[in-house]
Amino acid sequence: MEPTRDTHATLVDLLDRILDKGLVLNADIIISVAGIPLIGVNLRAAIAGMETMLKYGVMQAWDTQTRAWESEHRKKYLPALIKDEDIALKMFGSYYYNKGIYNAWKPGFFYLTGKRLILYRQDFDEIIFQIPLEEIKALAIKEEAYFTKEKKKVICLIGSKKAVHRFSAAQAEILKDAIVQNIEARGFSLEKISDVSKLSDLQITTLLMDNESVLNWGEKIWYLMPSDGIAQDTWRSGHLFLTDKRLIWWYDFEKRIIFDVYTNKVISINIETRKTSGLSNCKEKVLDVIYQSDNVKKAVSFAGGEIEEWIGPLNEIVNNLTDLGSEAEACPKCGKEAPSKELLERGCSNCNWVSPMLGNKTKIIDAKV
Amino acid sequence: MKIEENVDSKTEKAIYVYCIAAGNAEADFGNMGLENNYVYSVSYKDLSAVIHSCMIEPYKSEDKEIVKAWATAHEKVVEAALEQFGTVLPLGFDTIIKGESGVTPEDNLINWIKDDYENLKQKIARIENKAEYGVQISWDPKVIGEKLIEDNAEINRLNEEIKSKSKGLAYMYRQKLENLLKKEIEITSEKYFKDFYEKIKNCVDDIKIEKTKKVENDRQMLLNLSCLLPKEKSRLLGDELEKINSIEGFFVRYTGPWPPYSFV
Repeated sequence: MEPTRDTHATLVDLLDRILDKGLVLNADIIISVAGIPLIGVNLRAAIAGMETMLKYGVMQAWDTQTRAWESEHRKKYLPALIKDEDIALKMFGSYYYNKGIYNAWKPGFFYLTGKRLILYRQDFDEIIFQIPLEEIKALAIKEEAYFTKEKKKVICLIGSKKAVHRFSAAQAEILKDAIVQNIEARGFSLEKISDVSKLSDLQITTLLMDNESVLNWGEKIWYLMPSDGIAQDTWRSGHLFLTDKRLIWWYDFEKRIIFDVYTNKVISINIETRKTSGLSNCKEKVLDVIYQSDNVKKAVSFAGGEIEEWIGPLNEIVNNLTDLGSEAEACPKCGKEAPSKELLERGCSNCNWVSPMLGNKTKIIDAKV
Repeated sequence: MKIEENVDSKTEKAIYVYCIAAGNAEADFGNMGLENNYVYSVSYKDLSAVIHSCMIEPYKSEDKEIVKAWATAHEKVVEAALEQFGTVLPLGFDTIIKGESGVTPEDNLINWIKDDYENLKQKIARIENKAEYGVQISWDPKVIGEKLIEDNAEINRLNEEIKSKSKGLAYMYRQKLENLLKKEIEITSEKYFKDFYEKIKNCVDDIKIEKTKKVENDRQMLLNLSCLLPKEKSRLLGDELEKINSIEGFFVRYTGPWPPYSFV
């Protein structure tokens, strides 16, 4: 193999040598404009094109300009502050925005002032979230599984109307402590949150009736949605809520209440292990709630990992009802003892007998699904 | 007159230095310098500097063609000096010596050679009768990859398994395969690097490892070397490189002889 010295083909090799190498002279006696090496780089860039130029830092000046412009604009855009409002803390973070079918973590910078907590997105000069400090009822930090499979610290803030807001922040603990300090410094006090794991930002709170408050809720609960048109019975996922007035099932996907019943209409509950799918033989614990609607007994079924935890709270409302009538009477059909008033007004919880007195024009639906 | 001595930088002169040559024969290279400047030599003892007289500002341009012409001119002068003097210490592009108050650029140059005389003599001794050669070996990772699939039992097995998998699984397997292959290629590249480096080192007097660069056609540069050796030994190195070039998937670039830019 012969070495080549074809001038055209070896220009790059030549430049490599004469620009970066060669005998080096004492810098005192040679001229330099911003340093000799840079000149070499300038020449190289003219040869090598843009990509190399960036690599060798020729575009640094341009880059500096861009950065200066950016930081100038960053300075300009601060959330509009009220008179006497000072920023006490700025921290990168995000807010879990959840409205309609849209939900996402919206990022921005938290600005904690003496009056408000603001999440501000300077790119669009947009306030994503803000709350006056006095409206903050409680604060807690909750560890949540994040989609990266790591645990993430989430700040849960309870505002007015018991709405729960969720935030993440670069340093969640510091932000939370700063908010607490600021609130206490202004003479407000915070409520204690007894069970952090029960905090959820489901929008159910905004759909409750006046004076209605949630007593119990938890993890995902499946609901057997009745057949509709050509659609068969289908298990759908959502959340079950027990308030002091109603039992509500919230459909996560459509973000609305699909099922609700006044607790005083609930007749009985029943839990059993049975097949939940026609396709698999797998059996699961299913909770049936039998309730009265338009003088007809109806049943709904719920399932889920935490379904057994609902037996307690639901039994309580059923038991409260049994106080309605103190005299016991045997069901004329199956002979089961039940309070007479309940038997007359709601029918038999065992065999679904309903008193003809109720003038039932509709047929009785079998509680067994 | 005092005022006339205070000349502005536009007319003030400086010296562009191409190389330091062994010997003191007065040489005249004619108008072959950058921008057709007249190139000549000045001597101190048995060393000469090949120079042209220029303005006190560096040569710089964004124009590719101008820069090419300059670089080529610089190289041409160094080569002409090499021919005339036998041994030269080439300088990098744009080395321009300025004057100081009361000292001409030329005096500055001579003073520098005087101060650095021993050092320069040593350097000349080291490169005497030798030239620099560039060796760049690149490979085609695709060809090497295919070879690895054949040779490596585990990779081969994975590659066969993919064929029997469903689309989704095959995708996962392919990723697994790619990762494995990447690792294997890295190991192989290290192995080849060591092997080639040893082989080439045995053929040369001095060797410098340079940064590898991007090369065209999806090839990867495996090693980039500058080698110092007597011209007559360039054949020997060429034979060794020929062997490497003939291995499937490997490509050798062999350039030179260069003035010994990398060894001064």
